[in-house]
Amino acid sequence: MGKERTDLLRGTLDLLILKALALEPLHGVGVSRRITQITAGAFRVSFGSLFPALHRMEEKGWVEAEWRASENNRRAKYYRLTSSGRAQLRAEERDWSQVVKIMTAAVEST
Amino acid sequence: MPGRIASFFRNLLRKRAIEQALDDELKSAVELLAQEKMKQGLSHPEARRQALIELGGVEQVKEEVRAIRSGMFLETFAQDLRYTLRLLRKSPGFTTVAVLTLALGIGANAAIFSYIDAWFIKPLPYPQPDRLVIFETQDKKHGWTSGGVTSAADYFDFQKQNTSFEQTVAWGGASLNLTGDGLPELVDGGRVSWNFFDTFGTKPILGRTFTAEDDRSGAPHVAILSQGLWQGRYAGDPKIIGRNIAIGGEAYTVVGVMPGTFQFPLMGIANLWTPLALTDMQRADRGNVWLPAFGRLKPGVTLEQARAETATFFAHIEKEFPKTNTNLTWLVSSMTDRIRKEEGGPEVMICFIVVGLVLLIACANVANLMLARATSRTREFAVRGALGATRRRLAGQLLTESLLLFLVGGVASLLFASWGMRWIESQIPGHIRGYIVNYGHVELDFSMLMFTLGITLLCGLVFGFAPAFENSRLDVNHTLKETSGQTSGSKAGGRLRRIFVAAEIALAVVVLISATLLVKSFIISVRSSPGYNAANVLVAQLALPKTKYTEDSQFRNFSDEVLSRIRALPGAASTSVASHVPFGGFGQGIEFQVVGKPLQPGERQGAPFTAVSADYFSTMQIGLVKGRFFDSSDAYGTSPSIIISQTMARQLLSGEDPIGKKLRLGEQHSVGTIVGIVNAIKMYYLRERPGWHIYVPLAQFPSRTFGFVVRSSGDPTIMATAIRDAIWAVDRDQPISSVEPLENLIAAVNTGDRVVADLMVFFSVLAMFLGAIGIYGVMAHLVSQRIHEIAIRMALGASPVHVMRMVLSQGLKLALRGVAAGVLAALGATRLLATQLYQVTPTDPLTFIGVPLLFAIVALAACYIPAWRGMRVDPLVALRYE
Repeated sequence: MGKERTDLLRGTLDLLILKALALEPLHGVGVSRRITQITAGAFRVSFGSLFPALHRMEEKGWVEAEWRASENNRRAKYYRLTSSGRAQLRAEERDWSQVVKIMTAAVEST
Repeated sequence: MPGRIASFFRNLLRKRAIEQALDDELKSAVELLAQEKMKQGLSHPEARRQALIELGGVEQVKEEVRAIRSGMFLETFAQDLRYTLRLLRKSPGFTTVAVLTLALGIGANAAIFSYIDAWFIKPLPYPQPDRLVIFETQDKKHGWTSGGVTSAADYFDFQKQNTSFEQTVAWGGASLNLTGDGLPELVDGGRVSWNFFDTFGTKPILGRTFTAEDDRSGAPHVAILSQGLWQGRYAGDPKIIGRNIAIGGEAYTVVGVMPGTFQFPLMGIANLWTPLALTDMQRADRGNVWLPAFGRLKPGVTLEQARAETATFFAHIEKEFPKTNTNLTWLVSSMTDRIRKEEGGPEVMICFIVVGLVLLIACANVANLMLARATSRTREFAVRGALGATRRRLAGQLLTESLLLFLVGGVASLLFASWGMRWIESQIPGHIRGYIVNYGHVELDFSMLMFTLGITLLCGLVFGFAPAFENSRLDVNHTLKETSGQTSGSKAGGRLRRIFVAAEIALAVVVLISATLLVKSFIISVRSSPGYNAANVLVAQLALPKTKYTEDSQFRNFSDEVLSRIRALPGAASTSVASHVPFGGFGQGIEFQVVGKPLQPGERQGAPFTAVSADYFSTMQIGLVKGRFFDSSDAYGTSPSIIISQTMARQLLSGEDPIGKKLRLGEQHSVGTIVGIVNAIKMYYLRERPGWHIYVPLAQFPSRTFGFVVRSSGDPTIMATAIRDAIWAVDRDQPISSVEPLENLIAAVNTGDRVVADLMVFFSVLAMFLGAIGIYGVMAHLVSQRIHEIAIRMALGASPVHVMRMVLSQGLKLALRGVAAGVLAALGATRLLATQLYQVTPTDPLTFIGVPLLFAIVALAACYIPAWRGMRVDPLVALRYE
């Protein structure tokens, strides 16, 4: 179930990635795990979608990447939110709650 | 956005570093995942395997990321390009055939397009050409138009009173006799209103244009030269302005030189202009419609407004001068449209359409070749698909291949195009070129390059999509599981190829039928008798200058003396003279009435008119139908005799005996008696239908234009010099327009038809050849795919003959479908050719049976080789490969 849901809404993936990175810089695998964690296992992002999305955000300047040692001393590419990335996150959060409100109202209307 | 552009270039420049980083990132991701798994207790190898599965394949993820990166498409394109080049080099046969096919197809189109461009697209070479309009007299009741001329009095009244036009101009083409400064020379030019050049907006390179004073009758004579005449006859004399030259024996002062690029297609080649300078009597002439005129609209005035004003104006004129102007008005039409309608336009258009069809055939052929190759590359694509290439990427690869192929073909086509353009140009004689915009001179210019690039890319895209689409739909698993070497190709692919081939054949049939009709019509028009025997006839044409020869008796003496001198020449079997000869210059017509059959007011009838010496008909070998030829009894001072053409006799005096009937001719109203009926002859045009013609004796109707007709026993050209000398012996200063075999005069007029016929032969051979290659390709491929099946059939007892019949019938069925579709399409298409055909109907049965039959035979022959190969399949060998 969860896996199919990743493509559910365009833009959802971006929001989730930005959210995952809001707390601390993470590498690709870390982002994937964090998303699973914050969505309580509902979303499992495929790496075939995750990496392209990260690279796209890097090109847009929402995230910056740097190589550093991981928790067990492996070199890994860490992504960190830039200020424009934070602005983007706020904008997407706002949009999202807007959508939720509208959709809820729509669904609950009789 | 700037960031994105920056990363675009960074990606482009640091391609390797980025690839390396991506590789590292994914490797580290695999490591991280594997460590997680190991923590859960898996062994190292098993953990790595699981990690790879979870990641979804390193190469696949890389492909996905690459597709995101800006600038990636360029890199992909470069990769595809390199790959394609390698591929094309590896299969030189395929490459050569495809490129050659495309080069021929595109090149032929580009060459013809350059003429379309010159004829229909490029504006006339004057400032604001859309404001230029042509005037001509039109009969509202009968619908005829005068063919570009007006009456002088109408013109000058209109010029005075109209408010729509900035300028109006009258002009007339003229052959002017240049004497002095070397041999006498007849120069084509015009007599023009003083504002002729100013209205076009063309400035002289030296001196000035005419002034209103120059254009008054009796004003001092002035002339303007073309750059060519100035640099030729006058050797570029820097003091040419103010120099006196002799035109028709009178002194003219040169006041200007026009640039070599100036051209007025309705005037033809023109190198010398003098003012029109009409006399008051000429200006007051309302009854004769002879003066060509055009105008330039004032800014802001539309063609419709000008037409409305003209109509109102002529409604008044009609009331004021009912005798001459009943039913008459002016037709006002755009000069651009008018020039495009002139000779050649329809022919160029037909060639363009036919050559477009040939290109379609060529493209279908190449697409077919690519499809065939693509089906044998299914495995290659399956493997690339398995390695992470997306469908889009594979389709892109195929599209790149097709575009590259078409581009190479397009570049190669420029060779054919420039060669073809030069060939066509070389086929158009100089004096005809003058009537074509830009002198019919075309070159590899920007618009032509754009056109070539455009059709190349368009065809490459359209025809590249078929194989690209076809192959990107591959099912990777299915293809890879199939036994190696057995590439069956998708069923849909096979169907696509068969549709292409059938369409190709259908198009080729349309081309071939159209071309055959045109060529047949051309051959009939050339072979059919013009009504006289043109072989071994030499024609010397000249016009006596008005200044030197003023009396009728002078004209007579001149022609009598020249005739007797030519008759004295050895080799001149029969010699005579006419005021003008078929396919020559100086043609004229005359208005007439049948005595006793008055015309309605405002009604006019006319016919071509020739004054001839008594033996003209026997020299030309024009057949007598009834009555008699002219003879010595039709001398000066006796009652005029008339001979008319059979067609005219039949249509004008249906049922009555024409002999003895009287006609009232022309302005002088001289009445003549019809004494003979002769066969109708072709005068101007080989596709001409038999027409009206009035002949009168030269002795009774003096003429200052002459065509001396000399029939010799052998090659007439050897007499040319002797004939010139004979003329110059009578008048040393007399310019001679031309001394040429009659057959050459005919051939020159027939140039357009001949070029079209030649092109049609070339196009149809090309179309048929391509169609044959197409069907051969498909059948050969089909047989090679069915080797296995054929082997089984043969192992089960099918005879080789049976196999051959099977392949042939399959090929033939395919061909016949195409042929049938082609015949149906041709039935519709050839109706458009009707006006171009001479004595051939657009549904000519022989053509419509012959061409499909020919195609069936060609198709059979093309299928024979694959069929023969199928027949020779050795079941043992074929099946052992299992």
